[in-house]
Parts: sequence; structure tokens; C-alpha cells
Amino acid sequence: MLQVQFIRSNTFRWALAVAAVLAVFIIALFGFIYVKIDHYLIERSDRMIMTQADFIASLPPEHRVRAIQDHLDQDSRKVQFAGLFDPAGNPLAGNLERVPDALRVDAPAQSVKAAQNGRGLVDPLIRAVGRRLPNGDALVVGRNVDETAEISHVVGEALALGLLPALCLCLLAGAWLSLRAQRRVDEVNQHVQRIIAANLSVRLPHRDVDEPFSRLAVIVNGMLDEMETMFHALSGVGNDIAHDLRTPLTRARLALERGRTNATTVEKLQQVVDKAIAGIDQSLAIITALLRLAEIENSRRSAAFGDVVLQEMLREVYDVYEPIAEDKQIRLSVQAAGQIEVRGDRDLLFEAVANLVDNAIKFTPTGGNVEIGLVRGDKQTIVRVSDTGPGIGQQETEAVLRRFYRSDKIRNTPGFGLGLNLVSAIVTLHGFQLLIHPGSGGCVEIVCPDRPKD
Amino acid sequence: MAKVLLIEDDSETAEEITAELTDRGFEVEWSSNGVDGLDKARSLRPDAMIVDRLLPGMDGLTVIEALRKENDRTPVLVLSALGAVDDRVRGLRMGGDDYLTKPFAVVELIARIEALLRRPVESRETTLQVGPVTLDLIERTAMRGERKIDLLPREFRLLEYMMRRSDQLLTRAMLLEEVWNYKFVPATNLVDVHMGRLRHKVDGPDETPMIHNVRGAGFILRSLS
Repeated sequence: MLQVQFIRSNTFRWALAVAAVLAVFIIALFGFIYVKIDHYLIERSDRMIMTQADFIASLPPEHRVRAIQDHLDQDSRKVQFAGLFDPAGNPLAGNLERVPDALRVDAPAQSVKAAQNGRGLVDPLIRAVGRRLPNGDALVVGRNVDETAEISHVVGEALALGLLPALCLCLLAGAWLSLRAQRRVDEVNQHVQRIIAANLSVRLPHRDVDEPFSRLAVIVNGMLDEMETMFHALSGVGNDIAHDLRTPLTRARLALERGRTNATTVEKLQQVVDKAIAGIDQSLAIITALLRLAEIENSRRSAAFGDVVLQEMLREVYDVYEPIAEDKQIRLSVQAAGQIEVRGDRDLLFEAVANLVDNAIKFTPTGGNVEIGLVRGDKQTIVRVSDTGPGIGQQETEAVLRRFYRSDKIRNTPGFGLGLNLVSAIVTLHGFQLLIHPGSGGCVEIVCPDRPKD
Repeated sequence: MAKVLLIEDDSETAEEITAELTDRGFEVEWSSNGVDGLDKARSLRPDAMIVDRLLPGMDGLTVIEALRKENDRTPVLVLSALGAVDDRVRGLRMGGDDYLTKPFAVVELIARIEALLRRPVESRETTLQVGPVTLDLIERTAMRGERKIDLLPREFRLLEYMMRRSDQLLTRAMLLEEVWNYKFVPATNLVDVHMGRLRHKVDGPDETPMIHNVRGAGFILRSLS
């Protein structure tokens, strides 16, 4: 298994790719060097034969044969070719049988096949230059350029010596890196398995923050933090729900039992039944509220998001609750100006603010004030609901967000303590922040950070 | 006598509903599964239908969809234990005319069935009149006899809704859904407070009260004829 994974791993494939590119590049480089050297040598050879031809041509006719003779005698490596021919093409001196067939006279050096004089060998390919002399003779000077074959040998050797080790090194490095990455992944995997199986409070180890695997570990740890919080919340909720549902249901049952034995008139029985219905209705309301909460918390409703004009929405909340406030002789006011928009679900946001205003009105004694405000902060918009009621104590600011929590200060008002949970769930869904300020006089803020410009 | 077709698979619930409806003078037909229900809907041609969503055979929404495809416009009240907003939206989008979640108060069911059976005709008239009260829908003004009634926009909407359904029981839930477009139930007695104000404005000190609070059920606007 490890073997197969190793070869298929991305790191190894990348190493292979790099090796291939490197190989191609090196071969190209060496090829370039070879061609350049080849050209240089040929050019140099051409210059030499041109010079030689010019020299011989410049000599008086009777010295030319001698010059050719000397020139060829000095050629220890037998790479030089020369020939002097009369106007009819008969050889007068040199080691060429005749003027090479393809040679153009009085032109730059060319590659031609040389017809050799008495060598008994295969006609080699040479670089030659031909001159028509003033007296009608033809002069040919040439050179064998097989040296370039030697050059290509040297280059080839260098290539082999250098390229193969380089490629091997590349592949080895790739293999090692791949194995290392593999091992890190396996480590993380084992850790995570252990965490999930047993202990949710364990976290992945990580060293320096810049290494990608460490960054990944940090991210996974963050996720585990959230999971742990949720698990704790869930296990707590089970208890909360059981307790809070049992109370009204028990009341209903007690009423019915008493009524069964004690109710003597139909009227009394009807009263009993009414009490029972009330208890059951309350339980159902709690269940519905919890389901609603769950629906929002698990919601993917961000698909239904649109642009919400806050002023309009807040004014509507004011319109709806103004009569209720008036009923209780509480002064409700709204302070919202401008055209601030946020991205969200209008109905849910309305519900959240309505809940806050509802609470404020409920918990503020007669004659008090409730204010709905909209302010701009630094790169954020704040919706604030404040009142002159008892407010929330310093120690309670976290507790209020627990389900079914109801502060002693407001124990006698109706409600089952899920309102703030709902607001919190809605606020979280939108990516906003809920701030509950302690102190006398309630003050709750929904902080909406500005959308990044996209 | 209005004929109502009830498609509900739980026999106890069905019995209760049938009994209540019959007591109030409705003729009730019952089917316990989707396929049979659809069949009965086509052959009996009821005046209204109550359809449970979760049915064996064919689910409620599919039954409604099939009827709508055949251009059957019978008003349908969808019953369901699924109470999430999205479920409600889906139920209405698939062709239901109203949506009620279980458990429900019988009074709620009856009020809504009656509302469905007496769906107000969406007329092109620019004024509404019920008894001595007239509403000018263009000017957004209201009068009782010669007296001008000063209404806030939401109060006007509430009165308009009630006048289009005069002499019908309107439950708090119905009002919250239709007049306030709430998809949630607020904790306070929102409807009561607003209704109180409206009543104060519409029913003057010496005038016969038209807006009535039906204890435990809802509100009625009586036309005094």
C-alpha cells in the first residue's frame, strides 16, 4: 500500500516532472554548445583554407606547385587537401584527382566530396574553396572537418556524466519529500482518529506556524474547538429540555388527576380541562421554539439572503411595537437615518430585532423608555436596543444565552427564556456579533461588520 | 352544505376532525391514503380539501400537484407536523392554499376552512363597504357613516383584511400571517393590542360595535345586517 501511494503521490509526480524538465533543458543546453562549437570550428577551418588559397594564388605560377607540395607535407594529420589543375582539368599538383564535382569556383567555402588521389579510401566530405587563376589553372584548397565528430563525443560524455546523476538526485529528493509528506499526513490522521474515538479535548501538535502542515493543524484544532463547544452545548440542552418540558406537562397531568377525583360539576371539569390544555400548549410552544432554533442554527438559509435596508426594517419594528409599548405606558422611539444596507434574510433580522424590542418592553417597568438605534462604527453598523429596565448583571451576560435561562429579576414575566437564543442563532447565521452590555438599563447590540468590497 | 374531503392517514385524528366538521354542518368524506384520496377528489368534486402531507401511497403535496396540473382549483388546506418555514413555503408553492401545523386548535382549523370556502373575490373595486364602514382603497381613507376614521397604514391593512372577510372568524395566527406577514409567533399579544386600538377607532362610544373578540378563538367583523 505504501509503495503504491508513494508513486501516486503528488510530490513524487512533481519531482518526476521537474526531473523531466531539467533533462530536456540540459540536453538542449548541451546541444546548443555542440552546435556552436561545431560552427566555430568550421568557420575557423574555412578561414584557414581561404587564407591558404589566397596565398597560393598570389604566388607566381612556377612557385605554386612547390607551395602545394610543402603545404601537404606539413600536414601530419592528413586532413588537408589541395590540388592545382590545368584549364583542361588535369591535375598538376596535390592530392586531389580532379576538381570536386559540386564545387563552385570563386565562391565561399563549401562542403563537397573530394575525389582523392591514390589513397584508396572512401571519398571524404571536406570543406573546400576553389579559385580560377589568371593563367587558366584551377586551384582547390580544402580540409577534412571530421574533428567535429570528436567534439560530439566529448559533449556526449559530459552530458552522460552530468545528466544522469542530476536526474537521480532529483528523483531521490522527490521520493524523500513524498515520503515525508506521507508520514505527516498519516500522523495527523492517526491523531484525528484518536480524538474522534476517545477524547475530544486533545489537539494536534504543531511547531512553527509558517509550515503548511502546521497551519493545517491549527485549522483542524480550531474546528475541534468548535465541535467540543457544540457537544457540550448539546449534552447540556438535553437536560434543559427535559426539565423545562416536564414542568408544564406535570402541571397538566396534576390538574387532570385532581379534576378526575374532585371535579363535581361539568363546569369544574371544564376548568380542569382548560388548565390541562394550557399546560400542553406551553409544552408545544417550547418544542416549536426549540425546533425553530435548531432550524436556524443548522440552516443553510444564506441562500435566501438579499440586501436589507436597515432603516426601513427598524421603522417597521417600531410601528408594530409602538401600540404595545403605549399600552404599558412605555415610550418607544427609533433613531435610524441614512441608507445603510446589510446582506441577510429580512424576515429573520426582523424577528431578531423584534425579539429584542419585545424583551425590552416586557422587562421595563411602566413609565420607562425603550430606544431602537442605528449607528455607524468603524467599518461596521450597529443596531442597538436599549431600555431603562433592570438590565443584565455582569455575571449574567454569558448565562443569558443559555437555553431556558431566566434571570431572577424577571422571573414573573411571561416567556420561557429562549428569545435571546433565537436572536443569537440568527445573528450567528448572518456572521454578525451579538453584544450584551451589563449594567442597569438593558443594552443589546447587533454588530454588522461591513462586507468586504468584491 | 359544504362538502369537505379529508385525506389523513391517522384514523384517530381523522375521526376527531370529521366529528368537529360534521358538528358545524359540513359534509365530510374521508380517505386514508394519497392514491385513494386523489381518486375521490376527482370523482366527488369537494368544495374544499384538507390534506395531510405525510401519507402512505402518494404524499399530500404530490396529490395537490396532480390536481393543479388538471386545472383543479379546489381550495386545499395542508396539514402537517412539519412546521419549519421552508416546509410551509414548499406546501404553499406546490399548490396548497393554506398551511396548518399539527398540533392545532380545532377552532383554527374551522376558521381557516371557512375562510377558504368563502375566499373573497379579488374585485377591481376601489371601495369596500361593510355596514356603515367604507374604505377608499385609492385614497387609503376610512369612514364610518359621516365620521372620518383616522388610521395608520397597518391599521388600514388590518381593517381591509377584516372587511374582505366580514362575518368570518379570523384567528390570531391567520392575522399574523396575512396582515403582518410573520413567519414566527411573537411572544406578546401583538394582535390583541393592535386590534384594541383599531376597535377603539372604528367603534365609537355610541355606535354599535362591529369588531368582536371571540374568546379563545379570534376576532370577527360583523356587518350588522
